[in-house]
Amino acid sequence: MIARAIPRPVTAADEMLLKITRLTKVFKGSGPPVHAVREVSLSVRRGQFVAVMGPSGSGKSSLLHMIGGLEPPTSGEIWFDGVRVDGLSQAAWALRRRQHIGFVFQFFNLVSNMTVADNVELPALMSGATRRQARERRTELLAELGLSDKAGASPARLSGGEQQRVALARALANRPSLLLADEPTGNLDSLNTSDVLRVLRRVHGQGQAIILVTHDARAASMADRVINLFDGMVADDMDVLPPVRSSVAAAGVIRLGE
Amino acid sequence: MRAALRWIRSDLRAHPTQVIVELLVVAGVLTALLLSATVLEGATNPWRGLFAQSKGAQIWLHLTHGTNVSQLRHIGGVTELAGPYTTTAATIVQGPVQSAVELREMTPKMPQIGRLLVRQGSWLRYSAPDGVVLEASFAQAIHAVVGTRLVVNGIDGPTARVRVIGIAATSDQGFYPDQTPGLAWVQRPVLRRVEPVAKHTEELVGIKIADPDSLNTSFVAQQAVAELSGAVQNVSTWMQVEQSMARGDPLLGLLLALFGLVTLGGAVLVILNATGGRVLVQLEDLATLKSLGFTPGQITDMVVAEHAAVGLAGTAVGVVATRFLTVSLLQGIPAAIVPAVVPLPALWIVFIACSGELLVILAAAFPAWRAGRVSAVVAVRRPLPSGHLSQLARLAMLSRFPPAVVLGARAAFIRRLPAVLTVGGLAVSMAVITIGLGVASTVDDVQQHPADIGLAAALTVSPGELNQAEAARIVAADRQVAHAYPSVQVTALLASGQTTITTLGLGTSARPYPFDVAQGSLYRAPGQAVASQGLLDLLHAKIGTFVTMQINGVPVIFHFVGRIVEPEYNGQVLAYGLDTLKEAGVESPPVYYSLVLRPGITASAARAHLLSVSGGRLDVAEVTNPAGQLGIIRPMLIGLIAVLALVGLASVLTASAVGIRDQLRDVGALRAIGLTPGQVMLSLISSTAALAIVAIAIGATAGLLVSTRLINLGAQLYGIGSGIGRPPSAEAMAVAILIAAAGATLTAIWPARRAATIPVAAMLRP
Amino acid sequence: MRLPLLALLAKEPAHGYELKNLLEQTFGQAYPSPNIGQIYVTLQRLERDGLVRSQDVVQATRPNKRVYALTKTGGEALANWVEEPSDAPRIRDDFFMKLALSPMAGATDQMGLINRQRRHYLGLMRGLSELASSAGDDSPIARLLIEGAMLHLQADLDWLERCQEELM
Repeated sequence: MIARAIPRPVTAADEMLLKITRLTKVFKGSGPPVHAVREVSLSVRRGQFVAVMGPSGSGKSSLLHMIGGLEPPTSGEIWFDGVRVDGLSQAAWALRRRQHIGFVFQFFNLVSNMTVADNVELPALMSGATRRQARERRTELLAELGLSDKAGASPARLSGGEQQRVALARALANRPSLLLADEPTGNLDSLNTSDVLRVLRRVHGQGQAIILVTHDARAASMADRVINLFDGMVADDMDVLPPVRSSVAAAGVIRLGE
Repeated sequence: MRAALRWIRSDLRAHPTQVIVELLVVAGVLTALLLSATVLEGATNPWRGLFAQSKGAQIWLHLTHGTNVSQLRHIGGVTELAGPYTTTAATIVQGPVQSAVELREMTPKMPQIGRLLVRQGSWLRYSAPDGVVLEASFAQAIHAVVGTRLVVNGIDGPTARVRVIGIAATSDQGFYPDQTPGLAWVQRPVLRRVEPVAKHTEELVGIKIADPDSLNTSFVAQQAVAELSGAVQNVSTWMQVEQSMARGDPLLGLLLALFGLVTLGGAVLVILNATGGRVLVQLEDLATLKSLGFTPGQITDMVVAEHAAVGLAGTAVGVVATRFLTVSLLQGIPAAIVPAVVPLPALWIVFIACSGELLVILAAAFPAWRAGRVSAVVAVRRPLPSGHLSQLARLAMLSRFPPAVVLGARAAFIRRLPAVLTVGGLAVSMAVITIGLGVASTVDDVQQHPADIGLAAALTVSPGELNQAEAARIVAADRQVAHAYPSVQVTALLASGQTTITTLGLGTSARPYPFDVAQGSLYRAPGQAVASQGLLDLLHAKIGTFVTMQINGVPVIFHFVGRIVEPEYNGQVLAYGLDTLKEAGVESPPVYYSLVLRPGITASAARAHLLSVSGGRLDVAEVTNPAGQLGIIRPMLIGLIAVLALVGLASVLTASAVGIRDQLRDVGALRAIGLTPGQVMLSLISSTAALAIVAIAIGATAGLLVSTRLINLGAQLYGIGSGIGRPPSAEAMAVAILIAAAGATLTAIWPARRAATIPVAAMLRP
Repeated sequence: MRLPLLALLAKEPAHGYELKNLLEQTFGQAYPSPNIGQIYVTLQRLERDGLVRSQDVVQATRPNKRVYALTKTGGEALANWVEEPSDAPRIRDDFFMKLALSPMAGATDQMGLINRQRRHYLGLMRGLSELASSAGDDSPIARLLIEGAMLHLQADLDWLERCQEELM
């Protein structure tokens, strides 16, 4: 089984959800300036699942932060849903994030002094939903993720996997057009990783666009497309198609016996 | 919006102790401010309180004898009438001194409107037909106390001898001598004796109106005068009385303003520190909120709203507490300072409360703005600005100091701004407490050593019904008297011709009154004199200057040789030997005696003895210690210390919280190596204690350096003269420092204990 | 193949096709089922080495089948195998050789080489993921095998990244 890189024909029906052009990020600190991202250009379609891989310091996280407006780019353009967003103020970005972007981080980043329920309801409340609406959406999400009995718990009492699922619920609360995940399984054991990946696969199946920064090959292999960053630039950009036939299986990796 | 409210609610629930302390600080400061304002208002505008307590009448009319006053009831707006009371003009004679007085005829039954507030002795009673009740300011001016005998002369000559049986305050007329004549209330027999001719008396009637605003009052007064035209001899309205009673009391105003400023400053520091500290602890959560879509503006607003809510709760508690505590706390204030204590008008309370709330919001604004600018990138916990091990720490490590203590103490100072704020808050509290202790010790000293402010004599004796020689003999023979100084009090006219001051001839140059001279020396030759600071300032003179004054028309040259501390007479007084007057050729005024008693003899005992020996005919009065009026200082100090303790507590709690969060990671690593939970606690407590100890040291030192100087400065400004300032007593300082240090350490124990028992693994998680 | 067959024969004697079925049941889909011809060749070699012996069994209606059984020597060999820790290398180093030698071979597109290999790994990984979800709970052995393969693939990818960092 060999993965083939197929150039995808661009049709008029394709709408670009995200288009970035020559995006650059330079960190100026106490030492010499660090070029984290160098003139990266790429586009992501609606519903597409993109994995971004690369060694540490390759700029993956910075790229993700810029796409989500957490970090202003040094230069370049970001177009989101046909609107240019790279020059937006922090306040304008915040409004965008509320409605259109969900974030999941490596260290879960749940608000520590609020319960699980409050954490998941927060985005809905922020977008102007009524208390009842927020509660209904929360109940629905927690049920889908198998966390209904933890609604009243404080984040500190949950295991890593549970916390990450809560973070996912929170990120999906407002049905964002784009889910940005920065090493979501980085802090999880293999069992919890499987759980989280299962959720990602499910929401992708429901049409969610995802950009996933990861080291985990399993996670990356679930994506429609894998981008490999090296030293701030795109080193490889491939579509991972479903395997044509499942033949060699584990024997491709392990040889039993002599 | 709803999300922000949700977050605020969770945050408040997560830190109950800190929230409560913050609330208490605001409440305490507000209560202190409101009480101070109440006292100040009562002191500078006494009319309001007096009027309220005496249920006064808004308009008083003096009418010719026999006028029919019933027409007055028909004037629109009039609800009740007081009186009419018969009054007559008279004179009170005390030796050469004559004071104009208005006698008002009243009965032992206290009227409903225009009550008199009896301060000393009792109201008129049937058992004392020749008893007179004097108005308080008048009594003070003529040096009359309960038991003093007075001679009252009518206009046409008849005389009555009366005895003072009570001293009362009233809102009918302004204070004497700003308003003359003085007021005295007597029963009918006395009035008849002084003025037998009814035609020569007047009728006094008071009018109470429904709507007492100034416009309406004037209107009604005009109508009354029109109604009774021709019969009206005098009209006075409450506006005139209020204005006449209003006085500025610089010392009290100064003290209270300082008090208010300090407490406000403390509160601002606390809120600034608490808000900043809380934001510091929550940086990751705030970044998370930003990544969710909170705008920087929203985060700022949220933080401000949270602290504003706490402030509002504190304000409410403060207002309620003031309402309940006003009467009980302020009872002890002497009537001379605040004639009547009444709660502030509601509008004022609202204004002060709103200003307080505004200050809370302003104090929280800067840290809130910083919070809004937190980076939205949810990075791994930002590393602390790491200091290298300072020399001091290295030394301490080398010595036998437990390493946990050194680590903790060092960690406390890594974050500059919060450390400065905490130390600042605590140091200011400590400094002000020290100054307060200095004030307390000064007041104690003045009360116990009256000689320091020229009150060596405990009694003054006038001949009364005896003649000069007899009085002198009795006084000289009394065993309880250590020495009797012949004394006179004469008014001197200054060179400018406009101003008069009080001068005292006390003792002789050979045997001067034992003043405690702050600078220079006592008078030892005729012509030499000692002056108070206020007088020196007035004459632009200093020690060594020669000044000429006119006494009873005779020019006298005085040589200032010394400065004394004198709180009475508005701080402007001159003292010299009696022989100076004789030499200058001034006719000698009546002599009284200032008695210095033997140690151990109380003034009242000596007075009783003298009265019994002289058969009650000698006029003996106790010298009041004006420091007694400063009795208000003690409750104020206690209030101040309580508020400052709260401020200190809040600072310590904030420092604790920030310190624990900062050190948790490091402590986790150290515990993994082998530090026991006990050592962890020690480390965490040490960090707070280190800040506290530095702050206490700075504060106490600053306070000690400044205290005496400040008190002397205040005394000088007030005209008393510098020299009364005393440093805080060593015991009081030791106790204060110990309590502050112990309090800070104890406060840090509880959060440190909780933090020390967290499992190591939890500490090491990012 | 030798030792698995010995292990299976230790339980009870069996003939070729039975052994093939047993192997399939054990590893399921996770490992390709062995060729019957390969099994017979291995059995003959084992017999030649004295570790198994064979016996023809007469069947009434079918051709004779040859049944193999473990010998005493075979049993000892099996015991030794089980006791000793396995030391066979499991790393496939073809790729690394290619990468290291490619400059000398005149191939200049090392990045392309790395990218192609990575794509291959990811494709394999995807296949394994799908296999894992379809394998279900029937065979824990199968599942573990798949998981082991995935872990190795991850390690390969990480090593690939390191190579990229160092050699580029």
